[in-house]
Amino acid sequence: METRSHLEKILKKGHFAVTCEMGPPKNADIEILKKKTKILKGYVDAVNITDCQTAVVRFSSFASAIIALSEGLEPVMQMTCRDRNRIGIQADLLGAWGLGIRNLLCLTGDHPKFGNHPQAKPVFDLDSIQLLSLVKGFKEGRFINGEEIKGEKPNFFAGAAANPFADPFEFRVKRLAKKVRAGAEFIQTQIVYDVERFKRFMELAEEEGLLDKVYILAGITPPKSFGMVRYMKYNVPGLMVPDELLKRMKEAKDPKEEGINIAVEIIQQVKEIPGVKGVHIMAIEWEEAVPEIVKRAGLHPRPMEPEIQPPFVVEKVVEVEKIVEKPVEKIVEKVIEKPVEVIVEKIVEKPIEVEKGLEGEEEMDKIKGVSIEFLIEMITNLKAGLKNLQSGMEHIEETLAEIEKQLLGRKPKKIEKVFRKIEEIPEKKVEKIAKEERKEKEIKEIKTEVKVEAKPEIKPEIKVEEKPKEEKEIRKPKKEIKEKVEDIGKTGFKGTYRDLKTRAEGLSEDLYIDKSSGKIVEVEIGKGEKAFKVGGTEVLPFYSFEGNTGQPLKIAMEILDIVPEDWPETLTKYFSDVFHDPGLWAKKCVEEYKAEAIGVYLIGTDPNFKNLDVKHAVEVVKKVKEAVDVPLIIWGSGNAEKDVEVLREVAEVIGDRGSVIGPIVEANHRTLGATAIGYDLPVVASSPIDVNLAKQLNILLENVGVNLDKILMDPSVGALGYGIEYTYSVMERIRIAALYAQDIKLQAPFICNVGREVWKTKEVGLPTDDLWGEAEMRGIMMEAITTVCLALAGGEIFIMRHPKAIELAKILFNSLS
Amino acid sequence: MIVAERRHLSEILKNIEPYNKVLILGCRGCVAICSTGGDREVEIIATALRIARKRQGKPLITYEATLIRQCDPEYLANLPELMKDAEAVVSLACGVGVNLIADLYPDIRVYPGVDTLFFGANTQLGVWQEKCRGCGDCIIDLTAGLCPIARCPKNLLNGPCGGSQNGKCEINPENPCIWHLIIERLTARGELDKLNEIWEPKDWRTYLGESPRKRIREDLIKNNKREG
Ligand code: SF4
Ligand code: SF4
Repeated sequence: METRSHLEKILKKGHFAVTCEMGPPKNADIEILKKKTKILKGYVDAVNITDCQTAVVRFSSFASAIIALSEGLEPVMQMTCRDRNRIGIQADLLGAWGLGIRNLLCLTGDHPKFGNHPQAKPVFDLDSIQLLSLVKGFKEGRFINGEEIKGEKPNFFAGAAANPFADPFEFRVKRLAKKVRAGAEFIQTQIVYDVERFKRFMELAEEEGLLDKVYILAGITPPKSFGMVRYMKYNVPGLMVPDELLKRMKEAKDPKEEGINIAVEIIQQVKEIPGVKGVHIMAIEWEEAVPEIVKRAGLHPRPMEPEIQPPFVVEKVVEVEKIVEKPVEKIVEKVIEKPVEVIVEKIVEKPIEVEKGLEGEEEMDKIKGVSIEFLIEMITNLKAGLKNLQSGMEHIEETLAEIEKQLLGRKPKKIEKVFRKIEEIPEKKVEKIAKEERKEKEIKEIKTEVKVEAKPEIKPEIKVEEKPKEEKEIRKPKKEIKEKVEDIGKTGFKGTYRDLKTRAEGLSEDLYIDKSSGKIVEVEIGKGEKAFKVGGTEVLPFYSFEGNTGQPLKIAMEILDIVPEDWPETLTKYFSDVFHDPGLWAKKCVEEYKAEAIGVYLIGTDPNFKNLDVKHAVEVVKKVKEAVDVPLIIWGSGNAEKDVEVLREVAEVIGDRGSVIGPIVEANHRTLGATAIGYDLPVVASSPIDVNLAKQLNILLENVGVNLDKILMDPSVGALGYGIEYTYSVMERIRIAALYAQDIKLQAPFICNVGREVWKTKEVGLPTDDLWGEAEMRGIMMEAITTVCLALAGGEIFIMRHPKAIELAKILFNSLS
Repeated sequence: MIVAERRHLSEILKNIEPYNKVLILGCRGCVAICSTGGDREVEIIATALRIARKRQGKPLITYEATLIRQCDPEYLANLPELMKDAEAVVSLACGVGVNLIADLYPDIRVYPGVDTLFFGANTQLGVWQEKCRGCGDCIIDLTAGLCPIARCPKNLLNGPCGGSQNGKCEINPENPCIWHLIIERLTARGELDKLNEIWEPKDWRTYLGESPRKRIREDLIKNNKREG
């Protein structure tokens, strides 16, 4: 019997074959590959080496296959049509055959869009079936152009993939037949979870008379977690996951164990289906599971040891490496002293010792039935788990202690060092004091030093209750709002920050990382030194573990063109000295409250309110422009017609500052859009809480010539308790569409006009009382929390009013990011 | 038609920075139909450019004209006349028009005002979709009139790939899997057997292999000569 590879031999002899998949690393470390090979050796007949699967750049399949070969594990080299044209493919195949690779899997390949280089030009000169024909042509001694191969001809044991679960179902078998005709000798199928459908597929294949012509290996993947199967069910095209399986994984106490059980069960079931000649195990980034599955499925030990001829260069590769481990001088000596052949011999000698050691280890492994690596990893995981548990317990303890203290006024010892702030403040009574004379204490800005926990469920501790009376009484320091806000910064978020990666240790990344393929455009606001950009994120809000979160969030402070009439005293007291002059007002915001941008609300121009004229607006804007150098956001009254009149003239004044103008609505998009492109200004596109209307307005604006990188979307926001949930869900939907459905027309950043919504609510106007607590803190909290909610929904720039609310919002942003 | 998209104003501005008098030249062909380079757009862009330049303190004089086609020397014949006072021209035609101007009038400084995208159909108001890639060797006689070169992201000739599900393309589920449609059509016509044949690799020379491509009709050339 002529066979070219070990895998072929196993299949031809009628043994039930076992292959599995090995993903090369995303770096140049061959040790990783060697380690993986060691785990798998002896458990599988051949190992598939993926060719940059999912279009992510990795150690090449060709080179990895050579490493596997040199480690004594037979590779199945995968070759896709995505990255090479027919010239490149043929060249690699000649090389691969020459170096001793015998099994080849011919694939079309995943589109670059799914990978980490979506910008790449996809090649797809051939498709998988044409690639199979090409390989067949090689056997017959022809290149794809018909030219004869003079000399050694590659004669691969050629395979292909088949997906019994993709559509159209009936055509799937026909396509399989095509592959067989094109030269496929073995087939590895897509993951089988739906055994019934797979059975039907096999029956159809039988009817087509394919079962005698090709060896079919069923694809097996042990599910690792409930999240993974759910992901596969809903997000992987061409994969069918029965609900039953979802349920099992959901209820499993030990999901990994259950996953292995499931894999073993499926192997046993498919083994009974006529025509199934083996299994192909794809344990994605979980190669350690393979030996376990093979053993439990009763497929270990493998029927035959492979006789593998290592590629001739590899001995040298191994040698070079071994030498490097030794002191440098010696190497030099050896290299100089001895002719090449001798060195090679030497090398072969040395590794033998090492190999012996390895064999010993392997023996041990066999006794225990688990590989050492597997054990080590298990123990590490266990350790990490215990540590997590411990820190969790500590946290609960702290919290309990805090509650105890609050309720009983006790000061438990255990937590003293954690609650540094509390310790400093001697005795406190829970007193409510309606109005306090405000004296700004000069307390230096203390930056948040406590490392923050990114978990959203941890709420800031806000000490509203501390209200001692006299400043002179040092033992009862007075707590100003400012300090309270700072307190949050200092003690609000406890615990040590551990990034998601650490917390999800042991889980494969693709279970919790769902990278988007879209990107929010960046909009530049303002000109010159103080200009900034918003947008640019490629992930959902604060998902920094998934990728680039883009530009930092920004907050603009709002001023009005008139003296505010309905602002509560808790807000006016910060600005009443400058209400008379918008210029001074803006200056105070920038100099005293460090505003990074100023929002100018031209409310006085509203025809239904004061109906002030264009001249007034222009004057106000001029004053502000001259007073401050930060970017401006000019917000008209919201009356579509009046805004056209007003903003046109205003644009003339602020054009050179690159200020934002808005709101543009559908009714005035043409005229205001033209103004905006004329002066090259970013705009606020306002739409009434609706995904489609938001999109439509963006499209309309683009048609006029306003590009997306000049648009800030205002989805119309509501304050906490005043419809924020609608805003939230619409924003969230827009953002998901923009990032995950590549809805490019929605890829603009959000602007949220928070201040005006919050400060008109009833709650901020109510006086301090026992039930509602202190008035000012209430307003601050409402504004800050509204802002944070909207940031969680995707908001990028916020217009706010209360200086302390802004401070608090910033602290919360910092803690979250 | 050839579908194009208006370039960013700042790019156009950068191109015409050195000039004070510029001709904005539209085209009544495809770009007018896809609302990118017709009379209306010429007016909008000219206005926008003037305002922008006024703001920069370098006022711009614009001349506006729209030709029947810019891809035909005949219609370009009076371009020098239109350019009498202008120092440069921003063409809102597709890349073909811009190239032809550059070929015919080496002294005229011509800049593209649009990005040329693809050959497409106007499937609904405001939506254009690519349908053909001009591969030079049409195969859609075998695929029920649906083009796998332009409409399958992997250009499969022996599709569909394993990602086709529920009739949608795995690359972008907003698009149909064109191979799914092809199979549906051929099944309905009782011609599915056509697909049993293995489709040979395409000869891409007619597409990208020997560009720029040229088409010659000897008879027309001869007639032309006789007349001329
Ligand atoms: S096969 Fe070529 S010419 Fe025919 S429609 Fe497709 S791209 Fe156009
Ligand atoms: S799903 Fe269909 S259209 Fe999309 S790449 Fe696959 S075969 Fe082509």
